[in-house]
Amino acid sequence: MFSKILIANRGEIAVRVIRACREMGISSVAVYSEADAASLHVRMADEAVPIGPPPAADSYLHMEKIIAAARASGAEAIHPGYGFLAENAAFARRCEREGLVFIGPNSAALALVGDKVRARQTVEKAGVPIIPGMNAVSVSPGEFRDAALALGYPVMVKASAGGGGKGMRVVGEEAALGPALEASRREAESAFGDGSVYLEKCIEEPRHVEIQVLADRAGRTVHLFERECSVQRRHQKILEEAPSPALTPELRAQMGETAVRAMRAAGYDNAGTVEFLLDRDGRFYFLEVNARLQVEHPTTELVTGVDLVRQQIRLASGADLALRQEDIRQNGHAIECRIYAEDPRTGFLPSAGRIAYLREPQGPGVRFDSGVYEGFEVPVHYDPILAKLIVWAEDRESACRRMAVALGDCVILGIHTTAGFLRDVVRHPEFRAGRATTSLISKYFSSWGAGEADDEAKRLALAAAAYEALTGKSEAGGRAGRDGRKDASSPWLTMGRWRAGEGS
Amino acid sequence: MSPRALEFLIDGEPRRVSAELAGGTLVLKEGDRVLEAAVRRISASELLFRTGGRTFRVHLVRDGGRTLVAVDGREFTVNERCPGTGRPGEGDEQGAESVLRVKSPMPGTVTKIAVAEGDKVRKYQTLVIVEAMKMENEIKTVCDGTVTKIHVAVGETVDAERPLVEVEKSAVSS
Repeated sequence: MFSKILIANRGEIAVRVIRACREMGISSVAVYSEADAASLHVRMADEAVPIGPPPAADSYLHMEKIIAAARASGAEAIHPGYGFLAENAAFARRCEREGLVFIGPNSAALALVGDKVRARQTVEKAGVPIIPGMNAVSVSPGEFRDAALALGYPVMVKASAGGGGKGMRVVGEEAALGPALEASRREAESAFGDGSVYLEKCIEEPRHVEIQVLADRAGRTVHLFERECSVQRRHQKILEEAPSPALTPELRAQMGETAVRAMRAAGYDNAGTVEFLLDRDGRFYFLEVNARLQVEHPTTELVTGVDLVRQQIRLASGADLALRQEDIRQNGHAIECRIYAEDPRTGFLPSAGRIAYLREPQGPGVRFDSGVYEGFEVPVHYDPILAKLIVWAEDRESACRRMAVALGDCVILGIHTTAGFLRDVVRHPEFRAGRATTSLISKYFSSWGAGEADDEAKRLALAAAAYEALTGKSEAGGRAGRDGRKDASSPWLTMGRWRAGEGS
Repeated sequence: MSPRALEFLIDGEPRRVSAELAGGTLVLKEGDRVLEAAVRRISASELLFRTGGRTFRVHLVRDGGRTLVAVDGREFTVNERCPGTGRPGEGDEQGAESVLRVKSPMPGTVTKIAVAEGDKVRKYQTLVIVEAMKMENEIKTVCDGTVTKIHVAVGETVDAERPLVEVEKSAVSS
């Protein structure tokens, strides 16, 4: 087993990996850009190495600096988290050459599944159903036009190096094809340094169901069942759950076996996920392999009881897969909500700034994987994920209720977040009924923030401000910001103020 | 205690209320609308409101000159104004003016300018794309009009609140 691991990431996922290292008795090394000197992962790691200016290209994506940091700190392995270098085959190869262990799949499998077009070809040969689409990337507008016509509109533009919804566009008609290709290429180029795009038939109102897989170097491969990730906004998952309310036991078994077959065909090892689209008639199609630990991995951890990060580290160290398929069970129901620094009332524009107040949800079955703390200045340079709230309960309905309460208890002030929006999603009848498809958000939540509930909330906010003014808190209370919060835990202060309010 | 007249700016919107507190019950009047709530202070930053048979937890914190308030999953920024002084607040800038100043809502990089000076634009048309946190954000106009000024160039880094484009509102809209 390793004695020291470098985590080439930031935010909540770096914190998650550091926790696993601690539990396994492994020293952790954080890396950080100038924008992250005060970040939580830097505070939590045993060692922290600065790797340059804020732009990711100069820090978290800069292979030389990360390799140098690993060398200097004496780390034997690098955990890439998700995003940044996590699915970069060149980086995995570089680690292999340097004698550093890349905690992820071998570089050949990573290169194969990272190229969406090649991945489609490979799994198709293994008998995995794929979405009809172009078999190669192209730069010719004519080829795109012909392919789109042959597939039939609507079609989906996808980045060959894609992931996380970047570079993806739905095109409903020929007139929109040119601009969509241009926008996708630009986004893919800036996100992945590779602007290649291709077309797939657009499966309308699909459900997004993915299978978690673990494999060792000897090719032993198991799946840990599914996660349902249909609740998306702009092709980005915002809420995930396990198990999927859409699967029958037969379909679940079939998809699990198919995922294992796909990963074997790719020569894959370590943790990975096979994503499928499920159409209205219960047919499923291979979408892509996510060759990394995923944002939504905790839902699988909560229903199977398997610590995926620990498994990743074990498998990367060369250990055999100790789990047998028949030992893996789903128990209860888990839901994850991604708390982003975005303002749902202004079309989800990023909301950077200082977290003036943070109250984390607690209670039985509540897990809060956070990368922030009160007083933290959220930088503008990276993905806007602040934290993930994950709940577990015996059944789906109880998990929904638990999530709604926990989201209400998750209070972040100073920046806008998606917590309140997600609470309304969890309470929505379509979601409650287990009928969410990828169009849930655009269908029911396009005007969120402008309803009766918002007027009522606004009046209560005014009432609270008025109460503060009447009880003399708003003037004398210039304090409540940074320092007053510490006072808030003092019973004397609380009692005194409460009595003063009551008597007036 | 007799009712007190108060003026607030909530997310830039001016609101006039009268408020009275008696025996832990707050009565808030705004025009002919009345909100009555039993208020319990939980801590310096948390109040419990009971109104109409429902309970709301309100979290609030002073941050610089403003009060940040979270209630029912929504966050608001409230500034108290001195009644009668007419002291201008941030919400007063626009509205009556004939020119819409479209500002960058967040720090980022301008990756595309979709209009030119002199262009006629329709409500919700995209003016500029600002990339922030790795996403392209389409900055749109909220009224019909004519682009009179573009303040930024492609590739430029902008701060939040930086004016991007000016749109002269056409008479028919707004």
